[in-house]
Amino acid sequence: MKLSLALLLVCALAIALASTGCRTPTSYATADDPHKIHVGIVFDIGGKDDRSFNAAAWTGVKCAETGLLPNGQSCGKPKLDIVLRDVEPGNPTSIEPAMRAFAERHYDLIIGVGFAQAPIMESVARDYPNINFAIVDGVSQLPNVASLVFREHEGSYLVGMIAAKTSKSGTIGFIGGMDIPLIHRFEKGYEEGARAVNPNIRIIQNYVGVTDSAWNNPGKGKELALSQIGKGADVIFTAAGNSGLGAFDAVEQAGTQNGRATHFVIGVDSNQNGVKPGFVLTSMVKRVDNAVYDIVQQVVNHQFKGGFHVFGLSEEGVGYAMDDNNRSLISPDVILETEAAKQKIINGQIKVTDAMAQ
Amino acid sequence: MKHLRELLFPLIAVIAAFVVGGIFVLAIGDSPIKAYSELIGNAFAWPDGIGYTLFNATPLIFTGLAVAVAFRCGLLNIGAEGQLYVAAFATAWVSMKFGGVVVDVFGQKVSYSWMTLPAVILVPLAIFAAIFAGAFWGAIPGFLKARFGSHEVINTIMLNFIAVALCSYFTQYHYKVPGDPIMQSAPIGESAHIAHLGKFIPGLPERIPVNLAFILALIACALVYVFLWKTKWGYEIRATGANPSAAEYGGISVRKQIVLAMAVSGGLAGMVGINEVLGYHHRYYDGFSDNYGFTGIAVALLGRNHPVGVLLAAILFAILLRGGIFVDAFTDHVSKDIVQILQALVILFVAAGARYRGSLNVFGLLKRSKV
Repeated sequence: MKLSLALLLVCALAIALASTGCRTPTSYATADDPHKIHVGIVFDIGGKDDRSFNAAAWTGVKCAETGLLPNGQSCGKPKLDIVLRDVEPGNPTSIEPAMRAFAERHYDLIIGVGFAQAPIMESVARDYPNINFAIVDGVSQLPNVASLVFREHEGSYLVGMIAAKTSKSGTIGFIGGMDIPLIHRFEKGYEEGARAVNPNIRIIQNYVGVTDSAWNNPGKGKELALSQIGKGADVIFTAAGNSGLGAFDAVEQAGTQNGRATHFVIGVDSNQNGVKPGFVLTSMVKRVDNAVYDIVQQVVNHQFKGGFHVFGLSEEGVGYAMDDNNRSLISPDVILETEAAKQKIINGQIKVTDAMAQ
Repeated sequence: MKHLRELLFPLIAVIAAFVVGGIFVLAIGDSPIKAYSELIGNAFAWPDGIGYTLFNATPLIFTGLAVAVAFRCGLLNIGAEGQLYVAAFATAWVSMKFGGVVVDVFGQKVSYSWMTLPAVILVPLAIFAAIFAGAFWGAIPGFLKARFGSHEVINTIMLNFIAVALCSYFTQYHYKVPGDPIMQSAPIGESAHIAHLGKFIPGLPERIPVNLAFILALIACALVYVFLWKTKWGYEIRATGANPSAAEYGGISVRKQIVLAMAVSGGLAGMVGINEVLGYHHRYYDGFSDNYGFTGIAVALLGRNHPVGVLLAAILFAILLRGGIFVDAFTDHVSKDIVQILQALVILFVAAGARYRGSLNVFGLLKRSKV
């Protein structure tokens, strides 16, 4: 017994010592060059592979670092000379230490993803006035914090138009995640867009819940979608994070007629048209990747400015996704009409109500 | 020399855990030296490293002591997590209701308070609320065990769920400021804030949240030692833990000791609320605990259920907690989950090591346990 324990320890020690001599080349390949701009990104609880919001932010910073998308293709923008480090906090208590870890190492730009990080970022940014911070979806008044916010109501207006044009029943649905002002912005824009097409349209609205878990409850999302379908809704817009994927299941379950789906869902944040091809009418995309790339570029060019950075239709910060998955689902004249409305919003001829500004 | 022997065994467990953990790091594709220097090295920098390490250690000292006291009575308190949640909510509630809190809600001033008490009354009241709420929540499984014989492990685990859900419910539906997207209560009154140590220690910036609760934690260590080894109650608790039948035969009411030990344990766990609410968040913040209650079990185990051991183990785990973030950020592949691997390995080696305690006599360093 004594011998086996001693042997085990000696073996383990030997392996550990040997291991220190043969570091993998990657640890040198990304050695932090002090002359480069250092960017640290702290993700939301969902983590960088949530196929939605965080994933978009990751795409943006990865594009800035390597000029490539996570799948290896070019992202169509020049590679910036930066050192990129990321933390997936996993729980709310790790967000602040993560930001402070970057700040203690004098990073040039620290990006926080998600509105929940805004108060934490404020307290860190106050302690490090010489470091640039950027918060996605959050708002701060500090001069060294850039608030990257989106005019979600404008994009929602356009998908609301498409929904009303596509609906045969005259009833459409909206499923929100957590019942908070940010999601009311989606809802209001969607409603206004639909009413612009058909003033008598019926809109059924539901929220998954009032706690954080509302973002991560696909079962409840599906239930709500099925009940909306039961009440006659044939297009459903989801702004509910992971819960929205339940609505995708619901419209698939509702089935097809003559090769065309009878009910449609509209995705959100990332382009979700490919999640259930044929059932996804379009997606209200939020180009978090563009916003994040831009802010990195500004820091690299020494042009960083704090305050509001607003991404609406005119900045291509929001929009609706068209690709091979949904081109056959929307008739060309609907697209023409939607594009015309888009121009009018950009010109200011159509004013979409911002539910958060009320 | 006797104390050094006590230290030796946990130390071997920690080193063994790091060696095996190093193999994991290597397998993932990073250098163990780089990972470990990020993991440990950041804890000793002044002032941020030391300040944050002590701040992280504070809740672990409390939960470690909580588990240790229960363990001395032969009870496994898995419910420190629930006890500290209830306590944090209680202390936040008291310091909100009596702190003169007025919040601006959509342009209207809304009061969340009944009255405004001065700090000299409010702070002790809030501290008492934390200890009392924790003790109450801990006493429930103690009572259930004493009265009905139901096992404390099951009951403490179940009470964790109830505690977390209740606190979330009250925060969401009764004490959240309307329109706030974050799951947190209204702020507590400013007179309930306790000072950061930076106020007293030159060179330590006040932004670092290590606060008077850390001093309380040190006092708690001393008090737990006195309680367990210098008082009649402590003797009775230890006697119950060592052999309940013998204790009963010796005229000790085992049932009373079980309830008492669980209440003291819960009260200690509840003191985490002082650090988190009065010293840091200044409100009840849903999900504030990074599994402190469960890490406390590991802290007590590594600290051999002795206050000094708990203190040292809590500091070690606090170093890992902070270092985990740096590992996540500044290595290429290893994530902060390495900390959980290390914690698990430490526990495994401590537990497995109990079997080999005798065999280490070959070095003439350890005596075979006689108890």
